[in-house]
Amino acid sequence: MIRKLILHIFCIAFVQITFAQSHILYLGAVAHLGNGLKIENSAISVEDGKFSLVADANVIRINPTAYDTIIKLDGKRIYPAFIVPNTTLGITEIGRVRATHDYRETGALNPNVRSLIAYNTDSKIITTVRSNGVMLAQVTPRGGTVSGQSSIIYLDGNNWEDAVLRADDGLHLNWPSSYHSSDWWGKSGDSKKNEKYNKRTDEIKTFFTKAGAYAKSANIMDLRMESMKGLFDGNKTLYIHADYAKDMRKAIEMANKLHIKKIVIVGAEEALKIVDLLKEKNISLILNRVHRLPDSQDSPIDEPFTQAKKLKEADILFCLSYEGNMEAMGARNLPFSAGTTVAYGLDYEDAISAITLNTAKILGIEKQVGSIEFGKDATFFISSGDALDMRTNNVEQAYIKGVAIDLNNHQKELFEKYRIR
Amino acid sequence: MLKRFFLIFFSSLCLHSFAQETFPVNGVVTEFEPIYAFINAHIVSPDKEIVNGILLIQGNKILEADTVVQIPTGAIVKDLKGDYIYASFIDLNTQYGLPKTAEREHSNRPQYTSKKEGAFHWNQAIHPEIIAANNFSNNKKAKDFRSIGFGTVLTHHKNGIARGAGCLVLLSEEKEHQNILIKNAAAHYSFSKGNSSQKYPTSLMGSIALLRQTYLDAEWYSQGVEDINYSFEAFNSQQDLPQIFQVKDAFDISRIYKIADEFEVDYIIIGNGDEYKQLDIIKQTDFSFILPLNFPESYEVSNPEEAENITLEQLKHWESAPFNPLILVKNDIAFSFTSSGNKNPKDFLKNLRKAIKKGLSKKDALAALTTIPSQQLNAENLIGTIEKDKYANFIICSKDIFEDGIIYENWIAGKKYVVNKKQEIDIRGYYTLNSDEFENELVAIKGSKTKPKTTIYLLDSLSLPTSFEGNTISINTKSGNFRSMGIFSDGKIEGRYQDENGIFHHFSMVSDSIFEEKGKELKVETDSIIPKIWMPNKAYGFTEKPSDETVIFKNATVWTNEAEGILENTDVVIKDGSIVAVGKELDLSEILDKDEVVKTIDATGKHITCGIIDEHSHIAIRRGVNEGSQAVTAEVRIGDVINANDINIYRQLSGGVTVSQLLHGSANPIGGQSALIKLRWGSSAEEMKIDGADGFIKFALGENVKQSNWGDFNRVRFPQTRMGVEQVFYDAFYRARKYQLEWDLYNAMPSSMKRKSESPREDLELNALVEILKSERFVTCHSYVQSEINMLMHVADSMHFNINTFTHILEGYKVAEKMKNHGAGGSTFSDWWAYKFEVNDAIPYNATLMNNAGVVTAINSDDAEMGRRLNQEAAKAVKYGGTTEQDAWKMVTLNPAKLLHLDNRMGSIKVGKDADIVIWSDNPLSIYAKAEQTYVDGICLFDKDRDIQLRKHNLKERMRIIKKMISAKGKKKKPQKKEEKLYHCDTLEP
Repeated sequence: MIRKLILHIFCIAFVQITFAQSHILYLGAVAHLGNGLKIENSAISVEDGKFSLVADANVIRINPTAYDTIIKLDGKRIYPAFIVPNTTLGITEIGRVRATHDYRETGALNPNVRSLIAYNTDSKIITTVRSNGVMLAQVTPRGGTVSGQSSIIYLDGNNWEDAVLRADDGLHLNWPSSYHSSDWWGKSGDSKKNEKYNKRTDEIKTFFTKAGAYAKSANIMDLRMESMKGLFDGNKTLYIHADYAKDMRKAIEMANKLHIKKIVIVGAEEALKIVDLLKEKNISLILNRVHRLPDSQDSPIDEPFTQAKKLKEADILFCLSYEGNMEAMGARNLPFSAGTTVAYGLDYEDAISAITLNTAKILGIEKQVGSIEFGKDATFFISSGDALDMRTNNVEQAYIKGVAIDLNNHQKELFEKYRIR
Repeated sequence: MLKRFFLIFFSSLCLHSFAQETFPVNGVVTEFEPIYAFINAHIVSPDKEIVNGILLIQGNKILEADTVVQIPTGAIVKDLKGDYIYASFIDLNTQYGLPKTAEREHSNRPQYTSKKEGAFHWNQAIHPEIIAANNFSNNKKAKDFRSIGFGTVLTHHKNGIARGAGCLVLLSEEKEHQNILIKNAAAHYSFSKGNSSQKYPTSLMGSIALLRQTYLDAEWYSQGVEDINYSFEAFNSQQDLPQIFQVKDAFDISRIYKIADEFEVDYIIIGNGDEYKQLDIIKQTDFSFILPLNFPESYEVSNPEEAENITLEQLKHWESAPFNPLILVKNDIAFSFTSSGNKNPKDFLKNLRKAIKKGLSKKDALAALTTIPSQQLNAENLIGTIEKDKYANFIICSKDIFEDGIIYENWIAGKKYVVNKKQEIDIRGYYTLNSDEFENELVAIKGSKTKPKTTIYLLDSLSLPTSFEGNTISINTKSGNFRSMGIFSDGKIEGRYQDENGIFHHFSMVSDSIFEEKGKELKVETDSIIPKIWMPNKAYGFTEKPSDETVIFKNATVWTNEAEGILENTDVVIKDGSIVAVGKELDLSEILDKDEVVKTIDATGKHITCGIIDEHSHIAIRRGVNEGSQAVTAEVRIGDVINANDINIYRQLSGGVTVSQLLHGSANPIGGQSALIKLRWGSSAEEMKIDGADGFIKFALGENVKQSNWGDFNRVRFPQTRMGVEQVFYDAFYRARKYQLEWDLYNAMPSSMKRKSESPREDLELNALVEILKSERFVTCHSYVQSEINMLMHVADSMHFNINTFTHILEGYKVAEKMKNHGAGGSTFSDWWAYKFEVNDAIPYNATLMNNAGVVTAINSDDAEMGRRLNQEAAKAVKYGGTTEQDAWKMVTLNPAKLLHLDNRMGSIKVGKDADIVIWSDNPLSIYAKAEQTYVDGICLFDKDRDIQLRKHNLKERMRIIKKMISAKGKKKKPQKKEEKLYHCDTLEP
């Protein structure tokens, strides 16, 4: 066991040294670039942690001597790292053990709290997620009216400081819902109209208006207000969590009135009802988990599965999330939720975009990650088969900025331990 | 005549003496009871109408009612001039005159034992000893009842499961002594534990079990046991009364029917107004009904976006509910009406008339208000009709009460109660006004008979405030220059008015012509066609139930799950609900009869499999998945609470699922009995159950049963540790063994001895445990960590039974060999983990490892959403650990069939097996595969093309009803979002 471990460490060290400094060509794989394009027989090279060549091997001439290593990947597939937005991965560990919950601060208005510093790089869950190709997460706090700030983090690293790609990328506002469950036990029945809706939305408006005033003029330190400055100069995105058409309309109206520079709607169950508004205001969406039940007993039974296709047809920029029950451990199934959108009509490459480049664009990290394109970080993985299908998803190698990451995890170890017996 | 008169006089004297005989009298006694004679009335009863009839009453009783009756001398004659008389109505569902039921005491700490002191039942929800009559006192509500025509009500405490005896009372203002007609008139039941603060039962199935056990215990008690228990005594003494059962909705009726059948009881059902949804079931019963007339309000649908929150189910119910009485009449189901459920008493008559407009006959409506309720209570010799010797309970109305008649008087036990003062005089007309100030001025009195309006053209062209009572009219101008009072007599009003200076003037108004009221015809709604009831009556319901077909699926890739493996280019033929042939290029003439109609489906490029079997599901369950209130609840049965209308049934059909084991939750070590169902969408709960299936029961281990995550207050119930869990099992099974022995000894006695000795008490919980010991019922055990899994196998081994299936079994891979040796199967999640501490070592390789070790391994959902993607979950066994595709597919089909002992009929594509078949667009393990058709017993219950049609059909129906709703009158409520209840293992009820 110890010997094995040492060997393992050695391997990683080796990979890091050689790969980081050499020029490697990955040849022959089907490359799904994340930007909507696909190369059947690809030639992709990595140098200094960046893609130095992304080409069709059938078209270009390859000079083998230009590369330190050429890795033949016939029959395999290359994908840009999948990104899971809007997740509590890394700030929660065990659902029913409160000590492991670091995603919900007390109080309603916490724009100043930051998920980044609670992020546990050694979470056992993380290793099970990245081994399915999900290698980046927007780690997001939950609860209250303003939950706090998310950060975008690589699912590898020794501490949050080293692992972060973009710190404090945005604030998360939970827009009041026009309906709420009539019974906290979740008994079936009519959910009630939210009687305090106007009061609560007014409170939000007041709070954000104050923040706008602070951003222009304040000369004293107010932690909450300070944390919201970025909303008004474009450094931070306002992620508005809302599902009903009415709520989204109201939220967008407020954000526009207050000149908040960049907003993204998270959830957006009823997005198809406000397509025109979304287009007019150029608003992008982080969608609910695809694998969910329809909103109502009357809804088309495949409504959650076809939403992506319809939004694509409407030319709305969107990406997929995995928010909901057991979202941290479930993040490893994000690729399959993209697969389902393909089964229900979305083009395969568009489905890839919905968990790569679109996500990167929406999170504002598209310069570094999200697609396999010349000059971008070499953050990608190789699967022996179609990564969107559980039947074939098999991540063999994965790289962050050209450096291989360990694909082993707690579960694989237990598997190895008990299979031998 | 004289003799007869004397007799009547004497008997009425007798009648009246009883009630007050014991009371001291202050002053002199009033003995005289006059005879009242009501003449010229329409006396209406359900089966006859006496035009210009005469009704004689004396004291509290009716003497005579007929066309020709000699009116005794001295009778007080009342000329009703064409008014209508009906027997006063009877309401059998009230809590009139009883104290308000106290709210349930709330406490964070669970209360496991009864707080009620005395020799009563152990459970606070069982209190047959509560006798309504003992707590009855008259109150002001009587007036409300009287104002809508009621004269008698049955009143009972609407609280608890066995609620006690109801009491039939008159609504008069006489003393209670006279008002109580029948002290113990009925025994009352429901499935709601009411204000009982005791934990048990928390679920509907728990209520059902508790009531069944009460029947058994009461019978056992009746043999004369040593302990005294007043609850059982009361319960037994009430068995000869009418038994009245209150439902929550129509779906309770089949549950009650099962109890009625088991204990040979006939119930009268207090309905919910949605009985039309369960006609087929009701027709099987002998139940009669007490129906509310509280039709749903219409919704505000002007905002189309908000209106989308109204479900088609709600819309359809809104449309159908007013037809409910008519539909029951057409199906020969007897019912009475109750005003209960109408917030405003006046809505009762409004809704009654609405039901008439929808086609209910007046005759049936009147019967439901008079004769039927009296029959239901065996009180037809006392009340319900206007006949000799019955109580003088009747209402006098201006016209037909079922049209727009006004109730003038409600006579109860011979006492008059005025509801609306009758206006004898119609003062309306055109008059000429004369006084010292006016000369021949024109005056018009219009408006209604009781509320006339006056216009004196000279003073004000508007109508003036007018009051009219008896024969006195008062007319005022707003400016105060004409404030008058006059008396009407013989077409003339004479009186005085005061002018603005305070001077009185005499005036007279002489009628020139009378006011002709425009005849208002009763509007019969044009759309009184009974709406089509869908199966179920909601979106995606069937208008016609599809039937089984003979089909040949040609040229498919067939996943047989048999030795043949996956067959390419193969045909499958189904007929009469079974698979009749599987093979290449089948010759139909060899398989089917010559003239048989066969449907051919080209399945080229498609995959055919048997239906998916979900070993662990909690869909389609009503009002509670857990009876977690005690550590052992083997007596409860999911089979009692199946919800055949759950849309998730349809959704899961669309995911290729055809069979589900509906399991009790995991809140206690020994939970309830499972139900094995086929997803027969459109059928009733009972029809969904799989005929002849073995019985199963849920056990559970670990965090849920030791209440680890239930908060700090739940630290009372044993067990709180895994140590305790083991002891619960041993204790339960030792008790069961002892119980079995007692019964074995008893049953072995010769019948002569049996008669002399007391039989053991039958216990539903122990019955189920004995079945397990005898291997007649099989265990599915919720389990996570290896220590507890090992433990339970030891318990079972020592008691000589088997754990059939460990479900979840996330550490099964650690003890797979032990499981195999014990003979236990494993039904697991594909990849769930990290949701609690005990699933820290849950790995997605579990299914593969167990399967490799030779354990019969299934992958289940435990989740309504995942349940429709089980094919994908099976594929994860390929990904994690490299199970072969065929083996992975068996994990959601053949293996669960084996675990549920259904593999002789289901789980593979084999001739003779049930035609539970799915046509997939692709390899069923692929994320890209979609179920295109799902057959259950050869009936196509899901079809992707038909699904599209159904959506259009839903929308059409929705728009049709919304159109009606827009023009509907009356109050409208705001649309609300309908939430669906989804259950998991650990879903608890308050």
